[in-house]
Amino acid sequence: MRDPITSALSSKYGIIVLLGMTVLFAFIFVPEFGTVNNLTNIAIQSAPLAILAIGQTVVIIAGLIDLSVGMLLGLIVVIIADLMQGQSSMTAFAILVALGLGGGVGMINGLLNNLLRIHPLILTFGMLSILQGLIFVYTDRSVGQVSPEFSWMANGTIFGVPFSIILLIFVATFVSFLLYRTRLGAHIFAVGGGEEQARRAGILTGRVKVWAFIFSGLSAGVAGMLVAGRLGTGYPNAGVGYELDAIVAVVLGGTSLAGGRGSILGTIAAVFVLGVASNILNLMEISSFVQILVKGLIVVIAILLNQPKRIVAS
Amino acid sequence: MSDRTGTVADNLQTRIWRWASSNAIWIVLALLFSVAALLSDAFLRPVYIFNIVRQAAPVGVAAIGVTLVMILGGVDLSVGAIISLTAVLTAVLMDGQVANIPLAVTFALAVGAFIGGINGVLIAYNRISPFILTLGMAVVITGITQIYSGGTARGIVSPGFREFFNFRIGGVVPVLALFFLGLALVGVRLQQTTKFCRNLYLIGSNPQAAELSGLHVKRITIIAYALSGLMGAMAGIALLARSGVSSTFAGRGLEFDVLAAVILGGTTFQGGRGGIGGTIAAVFVLLIAFNLVNIVGLDYNAQLIVKGAIIIIASSAYIYFKKVR
Amino acid sequence: MRKLIEFVGSTVVAIGLLTGLASAADEARVMQEKQAAEIVDTSAYKKEGPYKIGVAAGYMGNSWVVFTLQHIKYEASLHDDITEVLVTDAAFNPTKQVADIEDLISKGVDLILYWPVDDKAIEGALKKATDKGIPTINTGGGFVNSPSVTASVFIDQWNLGEMVARRLFQDMGGKGKIFAMLPIAGTTAAVDQLAALKAVMEEYPDIELLSAEYGDWNRAKAKQITENLLQKYPEIDGVFSPAGQMSIGVAEAFDEAGRLSEVIMSPGDEYNGWLKWVRTNNQGGAVTFPTRVGQEALRLGMRILRGENVRRGQKVPSEYISPGAAGVYAETDRPDDWWASELPEAWKPQ
Repeated sequence: MRDPITSALSSKYGIIVLLGMTVLFAFIFVPEFGTVNNLTNIAIQSAPLAILAIGQTVVIIAGLIDLSVGMLLGLIVVIIADLMQGQSSMTAFAILVALGLGGGVGMINGLLNNLLRIHPLILTFGMLSILQGLIFVYTDRSVGQVSPEFSWMANGTIFGVPFSIILLIFVATFVSFLLYRTRLGAHIFAVGGGEEQARRAGILTGRVKVWAFIFSGLSAGVAGMLVAGRLGTGYPNAGVGYELDAIVAVVLGGTSLAGGRGSILGTIAAVFVLGVASNILNLMEISSFVQILVKGLIVVIAILLNQPKRIVAS
Repeated sequence: MSDRTGTVADNLQTRIWRWASSNAIWIVLALLFSVAALLSDAFLRPVYIFNIVRQAAPVGVAAIGVTLVMILGGVDLSVGAIISLTAVLTAVLMDGQVANIPLAVTFALAVGAFIGGINGVLIAYNRISPFILTLGMAVVITGITQIYSGGTARGIVSPGFREFFNFRIGGVVPVLALFFLGLALVGVRLQQTTKFCRNLYLIGSNPQAAELSGLHVKRITIIAYALSGLMGAMAGIALLARSGVSSTFAGRGLEFDVLAAVILGGTTFQGGRGGIGGTIAAVFVLLIAFNLVNIVGLDYNAQLIVKGAIIIIASSAYIYFKKVR
Repeated sequence: MRKLIEFVGSTVVAIGLLTGLASAADEARVMQEKQAAEIVDTSAYKKEGPYKIGVAAGYMGNSWVVFTLQHIKYEASLHDDITEVLVTDAAFNPTKQVADIEDLISKGVDLILYWPVDDKAIEGALKKATDKGIPTINTGGGFVNSPSVTASVFIDQWNLGEMVARRLFQDMGGKGKIFAMLPIAGTTAAVDQLAALKAVMEEYPDIELLSAEYGDWNRAKAKQITENLLQKYPEIDGVFSPAGQMSIGVAEAFDEAGRLSEVIMSPGDEYNGWLKWVRTNNQGGAVTFPTRVGQEALRLGMRILRGENVRRGQKVPSEYISPGAAGVYAETDRPDDWWASELPEAWKPQ
């Protein structure tokens, strides 16, 4: 028999339980943690990664993976900041460009994936390099400035609730609805669960995969808008490493890299576990070298506690 | 008569295609190399060719180990961090004394194998994604490296150590390049002949069946990851030997070069397929891709774009050769 | 070591006063010097001790930063009214640095020293600090003129690149083919060094830049790239490489190709591995990138907290050290990844 805490942690909602425990720990032991200001900070800090990770969840459920999102995010940050040059009048256009570029590159990933039939990890690893090259074709230094509206989107609040969290909730709800309530969502799960069977069942698997990549690209677009707002400028290396953080969050959240199952809520909880951990490690004045170690241990321990139940071999 | 020659010709053709499909990555390598040689005669100079081999050593050695765990159906993203740790560790233990070299190298290899063993145990006894576990372990190892080193690659390489590995036999072949090629050949040979490697393939293609048939799946998993850690440590030592190490992050990101090479070389995430030979060829494909764009003098941004394109095109070509039969 | 201390001197020269090398400086640089000489009104920041110091590191992943941080900690130990020094590490991620600065504000620090991943990208976060009465000090980056940065204690990358380029071109006799080995693409260091190189090249029409490469501060990568360039170019007369840790990789590749005698290496910095090379080969020299900038930054910060008026920009000047002199500073019993510094022995990294 296992003790209740261990079994709660290893349940389907283990990551949410872990989040609860982390937050509880922080409230008790870290005095500065519970201030409205600090909680707002954590929410604002975590929102871009959470949105990006939602898109990654969709591609991973479909049995794919997308390493190109980090650099795609970076490219979007650079281009929209440069477009806006601080002018409010460009805000709407910049949003369109961010979404168009995100969705467009996602679609290219999807089409290439179907056309070339190479492993998506390799394909998107190659795209990562290409997109990074495009960033540096565009600029080799920080350019442009976001409009005040963008800055507000990333940092502002409505009745005390950060706008970026409202945006996150909207994206999460939208994608959850899509995954669990629409035919396309069911097909995404089916393709990830077993492409051959899905095809035999009459699903146009190629099209489903293109859609999955489009969602991933769109999420990079939305996350890129928030990152641009956070930074205020188009920094060419803004997206470096985001893809890995997103993948870690997705898997910690209980989505299987093999595809076929996954949870948006779990992904978001995982992003916040990592965000809260980073915050309290800073507040607890732990040396930055030890912080690296502790973050690694959190990932390892969380993945050990949150492992999937043994599935009966079919 | 004519019938007979026709059959022979047919046979030959089938054979060539069969050969082509199982050695697709070598064909891609040969094509890329030919293109490279056309664009720059550097690729025809023996000294430079062996420079490439020596440049490939750190990533190539690590990739041999990662190939083994991927045949098994796993993956190891902690090798980059193991490279950083063992490179720093070896230099610290050497402390500038020739007499310390054996101890330093042995200890670094043991640390690599030990960390790999931990990966193996955690993966063998749990149902977790090796991708994320080893990614997490990479962060843990990075943290340990930073705490241990205090953030600087302290440690002094013993005199003679780097000189030995970089000595060119006959003025052409550096010892380190030979060391790498030797390891690769041994790896390929062992992969063809040992029961251990056969078992890796069995487990990779069907873990349940392997377990039912009485294979010690857990033990083999642990050994495979320990080997990957050991090869990671060798890669760290190779990096130290090749160029010296200027920071505690010397191996950062190399795990993705390794992973790209293994997958491009025909070993899949699902396991049960591929092998060390393909991996080695793929290591050279990726390296020549980078050097080629560098050598023809493309700008940094164009280098990135072309490198990405070559990765995608080379793997597509590989799939193409695989399919034609 | 003593000698280095005397040589580099502890003079912190206000930028408006100096530069006999201003000929290549354009209007923007003259403007910058004016801005740096402005006096900052620090009355809003004056407060009583004890003080909590925050350090928002853009990255911790190299030895220069480690030494700079040690200088900060050393200086802190000299002030009884400093109770603690909190350090965060953004690992080259600007959004993490923004978050770190916000965390430091939450933690209630009285002063923030930082070195940026990217100057513009953290302006917003720094503004939150100054709005709350927490002064912010740019430590070792380039000069920043922004209301969100209270003061800059800076090393002028442009100026450094200029000094390195001038010395290289002089050593080359004003003509020949060179390539440039720069740090990570997109960083201020890479941008400014390349701009300075190109500006000085205007005065030297016979110098040809074959290519600008990015070695990411990585010795292995610098060596690999150089091995490639050696194949491409039959003639390379000089290398512009201000970062010593990459210069070693570059020089090694030339040496192995048997072409070291044909090339002139530019000065590097006071990276110990490079100084060892300079001593052995008696060429190259160094233009310093002083790690004591950390100490100067904290000193300035303490003056601000006491309400003293300070200049907006305080430059820690780079100094040229000739090959003969640079060899003296090389510490053979120390690792390559080490900096010649004025830190007391007990405060050097362990």
